[in-house]
Amino acid sequence: MARDVLIDLQHITKVFPPDTVALADVSVSFESGEIHALVGENGAGKSTLMKVFYGLERRDAGDIFFRGAKVEFRTPREAIAAGIGMVHQEILLIPEYTVWQNIVLGAEPVSAFGTIDVHRAREAVRQKIEEFQFNLDPDTLVGDISVAARQKVEILKLLYRNVSVLVLDEPTAVLTPQEIPQLFTELARLRDKGHTIIFISHRLDEVLTLSDRVTVMRRGKIVGTSAASKLTKEDLARQMVGREVLFTSRRQPQEPGEIVFRAQGLNCSDTEHRARLHDANVEVRAGEIVGVAGVEGNGQFELVNAIMGLVPMTSGTLEVKGKDITHADILTRRTLIAFVPQDRGKMGASLAASILEDAIMTHHILDPRFRTWKGLGLNYRHAAEFVDQIRDQFAVNMGHLSDPFHSLSGGNQQKVILGRELLLETPFVLMDQPTRGLDVGSIEYVHQLLLALRSKKRAVLLISADLDELFMVADRIVVMCQGDVVADLATDATNGEEVGYYMLGGKKDAAHAETDS
Amino acid sequence: MNVLFGLVSAMVVGATPILLAAIGGTFTFYAGIFNIAMEGMMLVGAFCAVLGSFFLHSWFLGVLCAIAGALIMAGIFILFAVKLHTDEFLTGIALNLFAVGLTTFLLRDIFHVKGAFTDAGIRAIPSVKLPLIDGIPFLGRLLSGYNLIVYVAVLATVLSAFVIFRTRFGLRLRAAGYNAVCLNSSGVPASMIRIWSLIVCAVCCGLAGAYLSLGYVRLFAENMSAGRGWISLAAVILVSGNPWGIAVISLLFGFFDGLTVFLQGSRIPTQFTAMIPYVATLGSLYLYSVRKKRRQA
Repeated sequence: MARDVLIDLQHITKVFPPDTVALADVSVSFESGEIHALVGENGAGKSTLMKVFYGLERRDAGDIFFRGAKVEFRTPREAIAAGIGMVHQEILLIPEYTVWQNIVLGAEPVSAFGTIDVHRAREAVRQKIEEFQFNLDPDTLVGDISVAARQKVEILKLLYRNVSVLVLDEPTAVLTPQEIPQLFTELARLRDKGHTIIFISHRLDEVLTLSDRVTVMRRGKIVGTSAASKLTKEDLARQMVGREVLFTSRRQPQEPGEIVFRAQGLNCSDTEHRARLHDANVEVRAGEIVGVAGVEGNGQFELVNAIMGLVPMTSGTLEVKGKDITHADILTRRTLIAFVPQDRGKMGASLAASILEDAIMTHHILDPRFRTWKGLGLNYRHAAEFVDQIRDQFAVNMGHLSDPFHSLSGGNQQKVILGRELLLETPFVLMDQPTRGLDVGSIEYVHQLLLALRSKKRAVLLISADLDELFMVADRIVVMCQGDVVADLATDATNGEEVGYYMLGGKKDAAHAETDS
Repeated sequence: MNVLFGLVSAMVVGATPILLAAIGGTFTFYAGIFNIAMEGMMLVGAFCAVLGSFFLHSWFLGVLCAIAGALIMAGIFILFAVKLHTDEFLTGIALNLFAVGLTTFLLRDIFHVKGAFTDAGIRAIPSVKLPLIDGIPFLGRLLSGYNLIVYVAVLATVLSAFVIFRTRFGLRLRAAGYNAVCLNSSGVPASMIRIWSLIVCAVCCGLAGAYLSLGYVRLFAENMSAGRGWISLAAVILVSGNPWGIAVISLLFGFFDGLTVFLQGSRIPTQFTAMIPYVATLGSLYLYSVRKKRRQA
C-alpha cells in the first residue's frame, strides 16, 4: 500500500547542556494512515524526538516538514491547531470534572454571558464517543473511571479538537495486561478511519502486534525503519540493545532445599473492611523461585504488605527460616527478608534523596559499621565504600554519590535498590514486579540476577504481572484470584493457558492441589 | 422585638466585610492560589476609601480609590507569586505586614494623626431603602435600609456562584486549581486565569475595605481590618470555597460580632467579649473537622 509521507523530520539534533547529546542527526518520516512505532531503550531519545516535534522542547538543528511544508510548532497549542495531538505518559485530567468537561476544557462552546452551552458540549462529546466507539459515559466523573478509560478521555480530548495525527508516549505503561488489547483495537480503528498514529514503546510484543512500521532508536540515533511484518522480537531486541538478548529460560534443574518461607492461613482486610486475602498459604524453599501470578488487584498487594508487616493481618502465621515473624516489627523482618517493592519512587527509594542515602537505607541501622560516635553519627567513608560495592557488583551506571536518586535512569534505580536489598544477605527475597517499566536490557539483567540467587540457594517469592517472565524464571507458579490462592503449579508441568484459566477464576475447588513439586 | 432587629442588623453589619473578602478569596481558592493577602488588601482599601472620600468629596470616588488601592496590592502579589514564582504564603505575609506599615505611615504623614482619623469631610456610603420591600411592615425593617455595600455583597455572592459554576471562566478557574498543567496543556495559560482571580479578589477586598471605613463607621483607624481578612480565609477554607457556605459562615461570624457589641453594656469585660467571634471560629473549625472525620469513617 503506497502511502504519502505526512511528517518528515530531518537531521534533528538536540543537546541537553552541557554535553548530553539526546538526538544526533535524526531523520525519520511518518506516512499518513499508518501506525508507526518508535522503539528504543529508556533514554534512547524517543520521547525527546516527539517533544521536539510537538513544540515542547527546542531543537538545536534540523527541519520539520508536515504535509510537505516546513513547520515550526512553538507550543503544543500550535501543534494541536495544525492537527497533531500528543498523549503523554502521565495522564493529565481533572478527576473532579466529568468526562465531557475534561474533553471540552479550553475549547468550550459558550452561549450568552459566557455560560457554557452544556447541551451542545455534551452532544459534541457524545458524537465523538459514538464515532470512535469508545464506550464512555460523558457524565461520569473522571475520578471514578479506570486508568484505561482516562486514557481514552485523553485521546478523545484530542479527537474533539479534530487532530489527524496522534502521538502516544508509552500508552500501555499505565494499563493492566487485560486493558491493552482494547486500546489496540481502538487505535487500529482510528488508523482505519485515516488517522496517523505514532506510538512510543519499549515493549516488543506490543510493537509487533500493533504497528505497521517500526523505527528503532538507540542512544539518540536511528537504527533503522522496517515493516513490522518483517521483524521478529529477537531482531528488535538486538537493534535496541545492540547485542543478542536471551529470551529463553536458562533455568538449570536444581533440587530445592528446606522450607525457608512459610505463610499459613493469611487473612487480610482493606481499610473498608473488605476481605482481601483468604487463608492464603505460600511456601518457598531454599534455591527455589516461586512466582505469584494473578490479575492485578487480586490480593497480591495485600500478600506483599502482610509479609512485610505494612498492613495488619486478621489471622495467619508467617515464618522465615523457622523463626515466627507473625508479630515481628518491620526492622526484624528486614533482617530476614530482602524486599524489592513495586513502586520504586515511593516505597523503594526516596527520589529526592541522594544516591548514597538511598543505597544505605536499612543497612545504616542494621550494620554497626555504618555508625560512628557511639551510633550518633554516620560513617560516610564506609557508606561510600558500600555504594561503590553496589555499583561494581550490580553494574550501576551513575554519577556522583551525592547526586539525587532521580538523576538515575529507571533501570539504574532498580539496580541500586536490588543491590541494597540483596546485600542484606537475607535467606528470603521478596520481589514485587521487579521488571515493571524497565527496558529490555535491564529486564534481562534482573532475570539473570534472579537465577543467580536461585543457584545461591536463596528462597525467592516473585510477584509478576508478566506470565512470560514467570515461566522463564519460576520453579512454581502460585495463582491468586480474588484473594484466594487458587492454584500452585510446577512451571514445567503447566502452560500459560492453564495459569490464565486460574487467573480468571476457573476451578476454584482445585486450590492447593499441589503444595510441593 | 427591638433586640431582635438590633441583633439582625448587627449581624449583617459584621458579616458584610467578611463575606465580600471571602467571596474574593474563593476565586483565588478555586484558582489554586494560597492567597492570604485579603487582610492587607482590605486594609489598604479602607485607607484609600477615606483618602478618596476626604479629598475628592465623594463617597463613590472613595470606593473607586479603595478598589484601586487593593488592585495595587494584587498587582504586587501577581508580580511576585505568579510572575516570579515566589512562595505564595510568604508573599501574602509580606503584603499584610506591608499594608499595616504603609497605612499607619500614610495616616500620620497625610493626616498628621495617630491612631485614627475622622473628619466631617469624609463622605459616607449611603444606605439604601429597597423599593417595595421597604413598605412591608416586618420584612421592610428586616431587609431594607442597610448600607449600599451590604446589597453589593449579596449580589457578589449570587454572581460568584454563577460565574464559578456556570461559565467558561468558572470551568477554567476551577481547572487552574485542580490541575494547572492540565489547563495549560488544554491551551489555556493557568497563570492568566490566576491573574484574573487575583483581580476579582482585589475588587471584592477593596469594597470590603471601603465598607469598613465609609459604611460601618466614617473613619480610618490603624489596623482597622482587625483580622477580618484572616476570618474570611478561614471561611473559604472551611467550606472549600462554596459561595453559599461562605455566606452562612459570614453571617455566623457577624452574629457573634454583633453579640460582642450587645454584651459591651454588660458587666463582662470588653476584652473578653471581643474574643467571642474568634473563639466561635475555632469552635466551628473543631465541629467541622469532627464531622468530616465521622463522614470518612
